[in-house]
Amino acid sequence: MAREKIWKDILPVEKLEEKWVTRVDFGARKLAVYDTPSGIYTSMALCNHGGVDLCDGYFDGHVIECPLHQGAFDVRDGRPVGAPATRPMMTFQTRVHEGMVQIKA
Amino acid sequence: MSQQIVTPLTQALAEGKLSREELKELMQRSDAISLRRLGVWVLVLIATTTIVVLAWNSWLIWPAMFIHGIVLVHHFSLQHECVHYTVFRTRWLNDLVGQICGYIIMLPHRFFRYEHCDHHTYTQIHGDDPELIPAPKTYGEYLLYLSAIPYWRNKFVEIFRHARGQLNDVERKFIPKEEYASVYRDARLMLSVYALLFVGMAVTGWWGLIWLWIIPVIMGEPVMRFIRMTEHVGRPTVAQMHENTRTNIVSMPWRFLCWNMNYHAEHHYVASVPYHTLPKLHEKLKDHIHVEKYGYVGAHVDIIRHIRSQKTAAEGV
Repeated sequence: MAREKIWKDILPVEKLEEKWVTRVDFGARKLAVYDTPSGIYTSMALCNHGGVDLCDGYFDGHVIECPLHQGAFDVRDGRPVGAPATRPMMTFQTRVHEGMVQIKA
Repeated sequence: MSQQIVTPLTQALAEGKLSREELKELMQRSDAISLRRLGVWVLVLIATTTIVVLAWNSWLIWPAMFIHGIVLVHHFSLQHECVHYTVFRTRWLNDLVGQICGYIIMLPHRFFRYEHCDHHTYTQIHGDDPELIPAPKTYGEYLLYLSAIPYWRNKFVEIFRHARGQLNDVERKFIPKEEYASVYRDARLMLSVYALLFVGMAVTGWWGLIWLWIIPVIMGEPVMRFIRMTEHVGRPTVAQMHENTRTNIVSMPWRFLCWNMNYHAEHHYVASVPYHTLPKLHEKLKDHIHVEKYGYVGAHVDIIRHIRSQKTAAEGV
């Protein structure tokens, strides 16, 4: 039976880079946390095309761009919006609770 | 889970050559800056087109077409920026302008985008970098490359191969399967548009495009080959970005034409940085990259020196 996912703290909300992407080491996982006009979103940090850290890429609105090839993803649902990205990236349900950014994991 | 790839950018950040704040500022894009620059670009095009028209009935049409051709072939530089989505903040504008550039120089935009991705992943690595220009071993090879004859032969073979619905083994490495059909469609569409233009000229009896577009592009392409050689040829065929790429210091008109792509090592370090902030990135990285202060000519002196040293070694002197 699959383990039930629970909310887990990943970083204090004041440590988020405003209107940008913040890198978070969460156990063995590298996460990218995005401060967007419609709220905070989280995805895996490594691009699923080339394995490059998306947190060093260009971020605008809801789109994160890989720094190596400029493949792009919509951070709200992880869908690819620019080649060479073709597969959705893994995203996490995210919320802010008592001053902490939390993901369901 | 993806394995992390360490890029030159990752290294530059880790080694403190560049801070995260600086990177963020350098990556900012602007529609306004680029639309203004594109406006000037169009004015330059109008000016060189006018020169050709004014020289129509004299021998001066040949130098006029050459000058016009130099501007036309530099649509490659603009298309290259569009491939990286760094010209406009609005992503679809990059696609639109990139497509138009591609039609001017017969380089389908989608295909170039995929090919160029692997060039950035495997810069200067034999067998993996699909854009690698082999270092000429003889003066004959050097001059043949500069003539652009091999370039056009490859481009025609490539586009007809795609129009027939075929990709070669190298292309299958960098184009994802789900995009094969789109690459074929792009090639067919481009050839159809060209065919339509020729039919249009035949029907109307006005062959102006031959003189205003096709001959100038053919005449200008050796200049683009001359410039493209300066980016990597003669540099070591190794993965280290500070060694395998050359930044050329050139004058303002050339920087304008090539959309600052003379700052090539900086571009390879951080491909997300738009052309208009590359000079600032140059100031940050100039002590960590290979800079040719004598520009394109200096780079070719270096290339010719390599040919001469190989020749000398081969003759056992």
